[in-house]
Amino acid sequence: MSALTLDKPPTPADTPTRRTDRTGPLRGVLRRLLTALFVLFCTATVAFFLVRLSGDPVKILLPPDATAEQEQVLRHSLGLDQSLFAQYLDYLRGLLHLDFGDSLVYGQPVSEILADRLPATIELAAAALAVTLVIAIPAGILAAMRRGRGTDKTVMTGVLLGQSTPPFWVGILLILVFAVWLRALPASGYGTLANLVLPAVTLAVYSVAVVARLLRSSLIDVLSSDHIRSARAKGFGPLQVVLRHGLRNASLPVVTVVGLEVGNLLGGAILTERVFSWPGVGQLTVEAISNRDFPLVQATVLFFAATFVVVNLLVDLSYSFLDPRVRTSR
Amino acid sequence: MERIFQGRTVDRSRPSRRHVLRTGGLLLGALSAPALLTACGTTAAADRAGNVLRVSQTGDPKTLDPQKQGDMVSMNVLINMFDTLTTRGRDNRLHPRLALSWKATDARTWRFVLRPGVTFHNGEVCDARAVAFSIERLLDPATKSPIVELRFVEGVTVVDRLTVDIHTTVHDPILPAKLSLFGGVVVPPRHLAEVGDAAFADHPVGTGPFTFESWQRDHELRMRAHAGHWNGRPAVDGLVFSPAPNASSSLAALQSGGVDLVAGLTPDAAQQLDGYGGISIDGYTGIRTAYLSLNTLENGPLQDRRVRQALNHAIDVPLLIKAVLGGKATETPALVPRGSFGFDPTVKPFTRSVDTARRLLAEAGHPHGFSTTLTASNVDANVAEALSGLLAGAGVDARVNLLDPGTYSARLTSDNRGALGPIYLAASTVWTMDGASIVQSNVRSDRRQSRWHSAEADRLIDAEELSEDPRRREEAFSDLQRLMRREAPFVFLYQIDNIIARNDRPRWTPGAAGVLSMESAEVSR
Repeated sequence: MSALTLDKPPTPADTPTRRTDRTGPLRGVLRRLLTALFVLFCTATVAFFLVRLSGDPVKILLPPDATAEQEQVLRHSLGLDQSLFAQYLDYLRGLLHLDFGDSLVYGQPVSEILADRLPATIELAAAALAVTLVIAIPAGILAAMRRGRGTDKTVMTGVLLGQSTPPFWVGILLILVFAVWLRALPASGYGTLANLVLPAVTLAVYSVAVVARLLRSSLIDVLSSDHIRSARAKGFGPLQVVLRHGLRNASLPVVTVVGLEVGNLLGGAILTERVFSWPGVGQLTVEAISNRDFPLVQATVLFFAATFVVVNLLVDLSYSFLDPRVRTSR
Repeated sequence: MERIFQGRTVDRSRPSRRHVLRTGGLLLGALSAPALLTACGTTAAADRAGNVLRVSQTGDPKTLDPQKQGDMVSMNVLINMFDTLTTRGRDNRLHPRLALSWKATDARTWRFVLRPGVTFHNGEVCDARAVAFSIERLLDPATKSPIVELRFVEGVTVVDRLTVDIHTTVHDPILPAKLSLFGGVVVPPRHLAEVGDAAFADHPVGTGPFTFESWQRDHELRMRAHAGHWNGRPAVDGLVFSPAPNASSSLAALQSGGVDLVAGLTPDAAQQLDGYGGISIDGYTGIRTAYLSLNTLENGPLQDRRVRQALNHAIDVPLLIKAVLGGKATETPALVPRGSFGFDPTVKPFTRSVDTARRLLAEAGHPHGFSTTLTASNVDANVAEALSGLLAGAGVDARVNLLDPGTYSARLTSDNRGALGPIYLAASTVWTMDGASIVQSNVRSDRRQSRWHSAEADRLIDAEELSEDPRRREEAFSDLQRLMRREAPFVFLYQIDNIIARNDRPRWTPGAAGVLSMESAEVSR
């Protein structure tokens, strides 16, 4: 299942350093683009062959009392009786025209189905991002200011828990508490703000931990530097120092990691959507897998891979622009 | 994601770093905007006030093209927008729908006379040409239809404007029944030619009692009452279908008032909903029939008739129904379910007795029982475990082997008849309401899932499948059930109820097949 990017990519170290580019900005961009395309090509290939190991979709499409001839006819009309290699070439040919084929189950173009489900996933990821920032930024600041004291220890314990608890388990726990015991929020469904709360919180837990931890450590770095000491000497209060001087310098790595988290949030939606039956791309992926809907599985896998690749690319490119220390010659 | 650009001041000069960091905040605000926008798009309150019925079942339709789906969940939605040639009434008999009458004019021809004056929702006339077109479209390999019922149909001829002849390769006595659901939907030929398959699936046009309004996949599908329906306007103004994949989501939907009626609940899901205020749960005798298939083709204890009878005595079906299914099922004596053609009420179920089972096992040379495996799909885990426990009481050690539904169905239909092991739990929905549907793939020795070979049974199956005289068919079914009761090639279990959970608004009764045809439903405002 790791092909589905269910595993989180390794979290960046406390202060990510990106390699600077000395070959001129355009060539760097071009090289990165080509790498990204190559990665997507590999993903498409792996997805194509892996999904075909799962069995015969015709067995699921037809009822048990279908005859062998009927299965053969359907297999032929779906093009599944061609050789694996011929099917692969067909698939690649389609990809060149951005044609992902037709779903075996729904019978409509895969791209249409994906487009239908995308808004729900983006909504969930956006809400989770909002939750992340609202919780992580104050928590990170508090922990940095109260370094080594009770508040800090509490925040860091929360961070440890948040980073090590699997999201589906958090989701089930939240359903148990807020939907079953307290009857305060719906356990599943889509369409109202109340429906959005539990899945967004579930999805945000991991990101909150990552962002809070990083903000805390980069703030601590900044707060021990010279110009902060001079700011203190001017008589600013501790909170003013942090907000007016510290945050500005500590925010760079945080912006980077938030960017990376956007990819995580879009990709992490699979399990969360499944738990809350949220009608997004994640839920669609699980359905497509259990239906052995080859073209649809291939497309959703590609979608998640592309999300990560694009987000990484954007973070890479913006980094050199944001950080004066790695600004390339223009 | 273009919203991102709305939050940004487009600045031709290069923005400073500080500026970018500051707009980051705006950007994130813009990102969460779509989430807030959809938050007020709920119509549940309006539905409650109007005369709208909101129905929920376990899943969403796969497609709205009625000839490109073959599952009950999709059919349950589509039967409200499309009419079939025949229909199954509450009395379990076939009744006219788009066809007023039908008869076999010779061994390989069924003639249907159509209802005059029927039009599709777009005004197109529904006549013999439309019927012929529909059947030809279903059979065309290019349609990729998963509907398998019309396997014996080889052609259709238009006799006159309101008469069609359907030709089959062999006599098919239950063809009219097969046309009461999947196989019998009529689609508009001219409209399909104009808009094409894809647009038709996006906005289906039928002759049914409701017209299509909108569909948000995995969220809700809305229909409006069709005032011009030949059977008069339905009692409710609107119909909304939404998926609720599990008991907790159904319960939440019923309690929050987002749904009036939940169908397709399994008995254990229904038990979870039991006892909540304002929710009533009704069970109606259904047609989905469960049984254990025994492999008599391999060397082993199951080749001995006494052992197979012993298993039937050991498994206390009424107890199983009470303990595991919450009473929501009926004992089935010999595979053919009650209510379907061919059911013989004189065939009685096995007496349930562990002692008889032990005695028969000892006679067959297994005084200490034997070990075997019981395979089931993991959705039936509870029943499988209970069966294993009941068998253990008679000294039979049946290890339960659970498979995911995909693997299970692939093995069920594989050419290897032993793919699911010596004993497996299966169920079949006999929606044609004819015994042939459950017997056809499980018994006759040349069929894929047959694991018991008997020349006598094959002869009786040919008689019930090919005879033109219904009385002959009925006799063949009776003889077959008596033979199977004697030989016990299966452990006969139960037919499961159609379970409906609802609030106090709707008034509606399902037929035996449990099809969600809501034409007859009423709601109190």
